[in-house]
Amino acid sequence: MRYDPPIHKTQGLLPLILAFAVLVLFPFVFEATYFRHVLILAFVFAIVATSWDLSLGYGGLFNFAHVALFAVGIYTYAILAKTLGFSPWLSILAGGGTAAFVALLISLPVLRLDGVYVILVTIAFGQLIYLVVVSWSDVTGGTSGMVTLPTLQIGDYRLSKDGRIGYYFLGLGLLAANLAFLYYVTRSRLGRAAVALRDNKYYAIARGISEARTRALTLMASAVFTGIAGAFYAAYLRVASPDAFGMGFLTLLLSILLVGGTGTIWGPVVAAFAVSILSEWLAGFGAWQNIVIALAIVLVVVFYPGGLWAALQELREVADNLRSSAIARLRRRETATREAMTSAQERMLQTSHGLISVADTGDADKPALLLLHGNSACKEAFHKQFRSFADSYRVISFDYPGHGVSANADPEQSYNISAYAEIAEEVLADCGVSEVSIFGWSLGGYVAMELTARDSVTVTALAISGTPPLNMVPDDFGRGYNPDSHLVLSGKQYFSRTEATNYANSATAPISEESAFLHRNLRRTDGRARVYALSRLGVIDWPRQMRILSEGKIPFAILNGSDDPFLNHDYIARLKYGNIWRGAPQDIPNGRHAPFFNQPDHFDLALFAFLEHARSLDMARQA
Amino acid sequence: MDPVTLFSIIKGGIVLGALYALMATGLSLVWTTLGIFNFAHGAFIALGAYVAWQFSATDAFGWPLALGIIATSLVMFAIGAFLHLTLVKPFERRSDVVLITVITTLAGSAILENLLLVIWGPRSKQIPKMAEGELAIGGFHLAFSEIILLVLVLAILVGVGAFLRYSRPGRAMRAVSQNREAAQLLGLNVPMYFALVLGLSAVTAGLAGVFIGTIRFMNPAMGSEPLMKALIVVIFGGVARFSSPIYAAFIIGLLEAFSIYFVGLYWAPAVLFFTMIVVLLIKPEGLFGKYQRTL
Repeated sequence: MRYDPPIHKTQGLLPLILAFAVLVLFPFVFEATYFRHVLILAFVFAIVATSWDLSLGYGGLFNFAHVALFAVGIYTYAILAKTLGFSPWLSILAGGGTAAFVALLISLPVLRLDGVYVILVTIAFGQLIYLVVVSWSDVTGGTSGMVTLPTLQIGDYRLSKDGRIGYYFLGLGLLAANLAFLYYVTRSRLGRAAVALRDNKYYAIARGISEARTRALTLMASAVFTGIAGAFYAAYLRVASPDAFGMGFLTLLLSILLVGGTGTIWGPVVAAFAVSILSEWLAGFGAWQNIVIALAIVLVVVFYPGGLWAALQELREVADNLRSSAIARLRRRETATREAMTSAQERMLQTSHGLISVADTGDADKPALLLLHGNSACKEAFHKQFRSFADSYRVISFDYPGHGVSANADPEQSYNISAYAEIAEEVLADCGVSEVSIFGWSLGGYVAMELTARDSVTVTALAISGTPPLNMVPDDFGRGYNPDSHLVLSGKQYFSRTEATNYANSATAPISEESAFLHRNLRRTDGRARVYALSRLGVIDWPRQMRILSEGKIPFAILNGSDDPFLNHDYIARLKYGNIWRGAPQDIPNGRHAPFFNQPDHFDLALFAFLEHARSLDMARQA
Repeated sequence: MDPVTLFSIIKGGIVLGALYALMATGLSLVWTTLGIFNFAHGAFIALGAYVAWQFSATDAFGWPLALGIIATSLVMFAIGAFLHLTLVKPFERRSDVVLITVITTLAGSAILENLLLVIWGPRSKQIPKMAEGELAIGGFHLAFSEIILLVLVLAILVGVGAFLRYSRPGRAMRAVSQNREAAQLLGLNVPMYFALVLGLSAVTAGLAGVFIGTIRFMNPAMGSEPLMKALIVVIFGGVARFSSPIYAAFIIGLLEAFSIYFVGLYWAPAVLFFTMIVVLLIKPEGLFGKYQRTL
């Protein structure tokens, strides 16, 4: 399931409100009519381009008659408001209606075709509409178009008065309504169906999505505000001319869409402002204006297929990387605080996956116990275990790259379960440990099983918590976990404040003085570590991990919290284990996803008993 | 309808058809070989006309038209190959190459058209006629320039066809278009042949532009209407064989000439586009095409 919260719960809300506020205040600060004019045009272009994005970006339908739909809106307004004398306001609404009807007509041939034929037939349709408009000169004015169209007015107040401020706010309102509409449509059943058809047509059809209905409705939905924008454009300029069908306008819109990034809605909005301001600025250069715009299209497609939106995302990623690694570097100085928590020695180790922070109680004569932490956590999550196990074990733990005070690393290479297991091997080698008991928590459970399966260190006991063993990925993911929980956040790159709290509450412990450091640590984690750890699940040989468990050569225990919000306990109980401690997965009463943290006494007893059991087995075998 | 009118309609249709055949051949050559649709083809037409004007017009270099045509062909070939390298080649390996190249060639066409505007200005121009005078038998009139145009177009088409069929590079081009991987395995330089194909297609487009420039006034946007006609022709006829768009071109030329007579100059193109939509709906692979689901 894709995590897709409504906008008021994401970090997008604040920039959106800010941008809207700036646009509302703009005409009061800059009173020049020319600025307002440029922005009104930008509103219109933004509406048309984002609507096009619905059919082209989301629906994957290359509808090159989209510009013709805009022109249909223009001529609807011209004919209804001027020739037939209807109310201009009604004519604007009618523009959306006729455009949607024409889109329905366009969808008829489109339904039967695919790929480049869709482009060809829509181009032909656009030309057909153009030729009808040009030829039917009694009604449309032919090539010379129609002029002195009625303007909009409220009562006696003409919207063009006071420096066109009425048109400015009407345009802004239309843009806002258009964005709300598109937001609603893309998140609706129709929008999801359109995306499914685009990404995997035959699978989508097999799942019961009607291709014909979805395509027709997508085209119609993309036409409504395009037509309204056309009518508004006609009312604003008071001219209807067949230029709107021209290649120049098509290229301009296409550049807005591509520069902004298809399939994003917000990208084209930003690009509409950038491109229309650029194009106004270049207007004095005549033909060079179009050359620059066309060059921009080619350059974007060649070098930056994702467009402005992808560039923004990359900038954000760079900034977030700088932020999180700066925090890590700062916190690295507070070694004393962390050593006081764990009462273990902390040191930095240069590994093949970057600088890793290791905590080690250091008694070489005691058996080693390696603790592996979970997603977006840190080694101090185990500080209670460091204290309670240090008497009988040499307790070792480390921060994964991008976590805790370890350095950020190359996401492609170092943010996956295999890499974490490699780091564990290097850490153990550095400690001079060749035999080890492992406890892995959540993501660390998979690292523990992977480490065991790699068989380069001797694992004498293996315990996991909050980790459903998987056989088939991603199918078993849905079975092993509770998909309704905040687990959906585990692969999300950036957390809003609410999301961070929600995730830390579920994954570790509800916020309190005691767990505050875990919540604090969550925000340090490199967001790419979450994304890559989840998207690189394919690098793991999952059945190999399962075989370790079902063969039962290594003593194995599952110590789950009974109230773990992430897990599907039935799934874990159903799996076949060769040699599981006490015959079944053990539940820590009232334990949550981190039972060792919120029920330490129960947990430590259980883990201790299991480790003793494993040691007795080991001794028996050696004797 | 009297015989003289009928004759002039058919004559007009055949002249149109010959021009369309020349344009559509280049378009379908690129389509079948590279698997892309070249929207800069219209700009090639305009560019060819302007380059030829530069060489042959009396107020420019003033070379003889024949020499001008040869020089234009060389220039067009170089530009076509260059545009292949910049607009098509970077995306060759991508799965959505068809849609991406639609966008890049559209942009390329906008760049070319506006460069024409920058270099030669917006004033209409005309290339000198290929010949003056006309052949008149009874009421039937046939201009010498029209006869020369028909002969030249047919000669070019036969030449291109023979080149593709019999010459070594031509056969290599067909091999590359039929099975790219196999051609590469046999040691053919596929990227080079792709560039050659686009160059050749630009030459045919440029020549079409020259002929249009001798009978109509030129402006930088003169290519967009012929491009649409070439598109109709290619869809109407399909691209199964080298000759299918040529037959289709003459059918469409005659259809256009007759619809101009019956429904008027303005509505005639609408008839053509309507025909194209109907053909796409009923037989997307074209009138002479074999069934083929995708490109």
